[in-house]
Amino acid sequence: MFELQNIEKRYTGVHVLKGVDFRIDDGEIIGLVGENGAGKSTLMKIIYGAVQQDGGTIQVDGETVTFRTPRDAMKMGVGMVYQEQSLIPNLTVMENIFLGFEKPFVRFGAIRWKKMAEAARVQLAKVGLDIDPATITSRLTFAQRQLVELAKVLALEERVEGKLVILLDEPTSVLSRDEIELLFSVVRALRRRASFIFVSHRLDEILALSDRIYVLKDGAVVDVMTAKDASIATIQKEMVGRDISNEYYREDRQIPYDENKVLLELDHVGVAGRGNDVSLRLHAGEVLALVGVEGSGREPILRTIFGMLRPDRGTLRIRGKPVRSFSPSHSVAHGIGYIPRERKIEGIASGMNVFENMTLSQMKNYTKGSVLNISAERKLAREWIGKLSIKVPSEYADCGNLSGGNQQKVVLAKWRSGGSDIILLDHPTRGLDIGAKEDVYAMIRDMSADGVGIILIADTLEEAIGLSHTIAVIKDGDIKKWFNCQPGAKPSLYNLIQHMV
Amino acid sequence: MNRFLAMETLRKWVPLLVLAGLCLFFTAMNPHFLTLRNFARIAISSSPALMVAIGVMFVILMGSIDLSMEGTVAVCAVLFALTLNALGGSIAGRGWVAIPVALFAGAVMGAVNGLVHVRLRIPSFMASLSLGFIGIGLSLLITGGDRILIDDPLFRSLLTVRVGGFPLMMYAALACLLVAWFIQDHTTTGRNFYAVGGGEELARASGLNVGRLRIIGFVLAGIFYALGAIFAVARLGIAETETGRNFMFMSITSVVVGGTALRGGEGGVWNTLIGVLIVNVIGNGMVVIGLADYFQDGVLGLLVITAVWLSTDRRSLSFVK
Amino acid sequence: MSFIRKYIEQQTINRRNLLLMSAYGLCGAAVTSAMKPYAAKAASSDPQIAWSYRDRTNPYWNAIVSGGNAFVQSLGKPERALINLINEGSSEKSLSDIQSLLSRYGSNVALAVDPNDMPNCRPVVEAVSKAQAYASTIWNKTDDLHPWDFGDHYVSHMTWSDVGPSEQTARVLFDAMGGKGGVVHLGGITSNNPAIERLAGFRNALKAYPNIELLAVQAADWDTQKANQVMSGFLTRYGDAIKGVHCASDTMAYGVIEALRAEGIENMPIVSYDGNPQAVDLVTKGKILATVFTNPYWAGGITASLAYYAATGVFKPSSEPKEHREFYGPTTLVTTKDARDFKVKYIDTNPNYDWKKFWALSGGQIQYK
Repeated sequence: MFELQNIEKRYTGVHVLKGVDFRIDDGEIIGLVGENGAGKSTLMKIIYGAVQQDGGTIQVDGETVTFRTPRDAMKMGVGMVYQEQSLIPNLTVMENIFLGFEKPFVRFGAIRWKKMAEAARVQLAKVGLDIDPATITSRLTFAQRQLVELAKVLALEERVEGKLVILLDEPTSVLSRDEIELLFSVVRALRRRASFIFVSHRLDEILALSDRIYVLKDGAVVDVMTAKDASIATIQKEMVGRDISNEYYREDRQIPYDENKVLLELDHVGVAGRGNDVSLRLHAGEVLALVGVEGSGREPILRTIFGMLRPDRGTLRIRGKPVRSFSPSHSVAHGIGYIPRERKIEGIASGMNVFENMTLSQMKNYTKGSVLNISAERKLAREWIGKLSIKVPSEYADCGNLSGGNQQKVVLAKWRSGGSDIILLDHPTRGLDIGAKEDVYAMIRDMSADGVGIILIADTLEEAIGLSHTIAVIKDGDIKKWFNCQPGAKPSLYNLIQHMV
Repeated sequence: MNRFLAMETLRKWVPLLVLAGLCLFFTAMNPHFLTLRNFARIAISSSPALMVAIGVMFVILMGSIDLSMEGTVAVCAVLFALTLNALGGSIAGRGWVAIPVALFAGAVMGAVNGLVHVRLRIPSFMASLSLGFIGIGLSLLITGGDRILIDDPLFRSLLTVRVGGFPLMMYAALACLLVAWFIQDHTTTGRNFYAVGGGEELARASGLNVGRLRIIGFVLAGIFYALGAIFAVARLGIAETETGRNFMFMSITSVVVGGTALRGGEGGVWNTLIGVLIVNVIGNGMVVIGLADYFQDGVLGLLVITAVWLSTDRRSLSFVK
Repeated sequence: MSFIRKYIEQQTINRRNLLLMSAYGLCGAAVTSAMKPYAAKAASSDPQIAWSYRDRTNPYWNAIVSGGNAFVQSLGKPERALINLINEGSSEKSLSDIQSLLSRYGSNVALAVDPNDMPNCRPVVEAVSKAQAYASTIWNKTDDLHPWDFGDHYVSHMTWSDVGPSEQTARVLFDAMGGKGGVVHLGGITSNNPAIERLAGFRNALKAYPNIELLAVQAADWDTQKANQVMSGFLTRYGDAIKGVHCASDTMAYGVIEALRAEGIENMPIVSYDGNPQAVDLVTKGKILATVFTNPYWAGGITASLAYYAATGVFKPSSEPKEHREFYGPTTLVTTKDARDFKVKYIDTNPNYDWKKFWALSGGQIQYK
């Protein structure tokens, strides 16, 4: 049994954790939920020893312990499976599993690889992974890597007495549905060896896996529920502190699109190297969701439309005109905006401020003879900061320091203010908390009302169903099925899934 | 969080504080340091270095690196001197053509550098290093290892004529600095350098032509190297292959010490100015306080490391190898 | 940071060598291949003449090679008959090039060589001696190695002592200063032997002038720009107290003159070393009061000549006295008085040397301390 009592933590004046009590029994799976900034990650860091609490105690099997480093925590059987994959990609699987614990395999200063491989196989067997321990980690799929990380933590078993406590931080974020199921079955099977703390933004997964659920809000535990008595709606209500589910996707604001105005047309387009054949039409005011499992070929379609990939065959027409040269600059010039999944890499230039980010794709509108008109840029930024209620001190704020939701708003403002009327959204709400998600949904409705055509790859199926006018189910790169999503006549999750897999 | 922001603001001013601290230290050791005449001397040694440092700064802002400056400076200096002497030896006459010739040569070297880097997809480190070799070889070929003397009193007035105690050269360098600042802050190109440095993928996804931008960056760098070459010739009255010597160490050190991040996207001309001054104040100050010469290299190294350590944000440096 | 600077310096040197190698190396290759049939019928009466040296970018080595070429032409051969072995500052390359030369032509070689560093001299002369070829060396040799220990095949060694000439320039400087006032010395890279000797000569002269005050000694690494910066620093530190400047090389003197010109100081007494054409020009104008000429042109020719005529049997090295086997090269002080004549004689044209007067300009037998 692992217990936290009255944990306090402050970061230079900010009260992050306010007297948190937390208990996990042997073999139990605890779900931990909360909005961004509720204190989840700080709590986790205290549990695995990366951060020390200011007040309160940690007890393992009734004895008070202090963790000065993650290694201390490991010695007491607490292990962390990191959200950012923590395996070193150019090392082999076994080296990763025993990284920092090679001692038992060393004889006369040399590592006995055979012995290490045997030991690694034992660990991999625990998670049901049948791979050669000498495989270079970068060759594995994301799901396999996740399992290797789990195996790495399970290797603690041999080194500590008593049961393990394993933290899973957003382990499903990079996995497909099948892989998630596999991971869950492994976790369930491992109950007799360890107890788990499971952190995820996906409440359906939390409900499916956990025994009990801790809800954190503003640094305090606001509720502990048993999973079978909980529902997504009740958890959300606890997290946000108000009822939100009804208006969540703003379905009331979904208005029919203009059928006569085709903004974008793909006519038997073959995405580079995939040998598929995609045809679709995007109308003014339409939200078209591409739905499919991870790796089904949704992103390459978006990237083709944006000109980052050159199609093998077929025609792409923007407002009726066939596209001949494929490059992002060409697409931007023709009114296409792209909001990528990796916001930090492709969405926001950190180090540049708000107005610089906003005008990046449309600088020709703010220059005269390539000299910038900075006051006009600032005016634009102030206008959109107001319009989208972006929370920034001023238009000079560095975008790298903004919260995820505000960054996303800046990216949206960048394309909208540039007059783009075809917007490609790749996971626009990934990693955002509920409040910020709602803002993004509202913006999508606003754009739709302004006659903007939107192609969406949603974070969840519910999101896709809730937001879109039309859904295309993609499998193996091809569109398998079209769904019409008028309010009141939306397809169910089940309808979609049977075409996805 | 607040303390963090305070640190952040403080860090921005660290290079300037380092410079002020150095000046105080050298003055305390030898009051002669704090004289107009000495500052004029520092200004003379800083002027060519400032031009070269600004050139490489543009490239570094984009997250690339340019190591061709020694070769480019040598070629530009030699071509400048040859043209000047061939056209009558005075910039008062037709000799002024030497200035655009040198700038054009710099731009061509930069363009070749950028094209090799972008079109042949050779890392900028290798492309520019090799082009630097070629530049040195080219200038040797042109001069045959000889020195070319410039005796035009009008051109040398950059060094010899003083206004307000400072040589004309410094005012010319400051004018070029203002041009660089204008390019950096008030043109699309300058803004785009930051965008490419801040995130190349992002820049591409925003519809910028990243390849073309990189080439422009190298061309701009080449032009500033040529300016550096002209000032270096004005300073010594000699153009030779050796004119380019030491600029690589000097300019990159200055850029980094001034607080421009080697990963790109951060810093700018004012940082570079401060960096160049720091490096040259150290060089001058060590002689002025009479530090034994076998210490000087070591002390310069230590001071550079300290300055970089103080002025960089190590939170984001996890990738440093 | 100094190791980085050193690395960069190294790189600068290497890349220059690389480029010149590609240029001269190609010529060399062409020459050797062109020589092949020629070599086949050559008797020992007509050995292959080779010069092994660092590189040609430096005016000094350029002058050495010009002398070598002049000697080859004096034999009625074309310039390309001289085989250039460029060692790029690497002793290993120096030795391996010489070994391949020997393995191709055997005893039929007359080699002039700077072995690049002192320890490399022994393997070079041993290889030559083993092949029964003939070699003359300059500059680098350990003190325990002597030509007379190798019979005839290690013909001679020539080197220069900079202490005396440097003392002479210092005296010229001090006299120009009227025997009193402050003086500064700008030296070469501190660990270089010439830098050490030139500083020693300067210090010797100081002893005779009690009213001359030594203000500072600082290395400026033979570099014009560095010297310029150092001189500016000196001006701040000592101001008007500086009455004279002693430079260990011409290149540094140029930087000093420009630093002074920037301050409007036009008539500061300055002396330097090396006798570069440009420095000699400045001596005629009185901008520099004295420099020292070491006649690399003659040295380049006479070293090749010694090896060649020993190989052809014109003289027998082992019957020559020791002062003909190990001797100092010539040093000539060039002052404002004789600079014009000197320039006409040595710079504008090269004198027509008689390459059979081997020891005409010798500075006497080498003395070991």
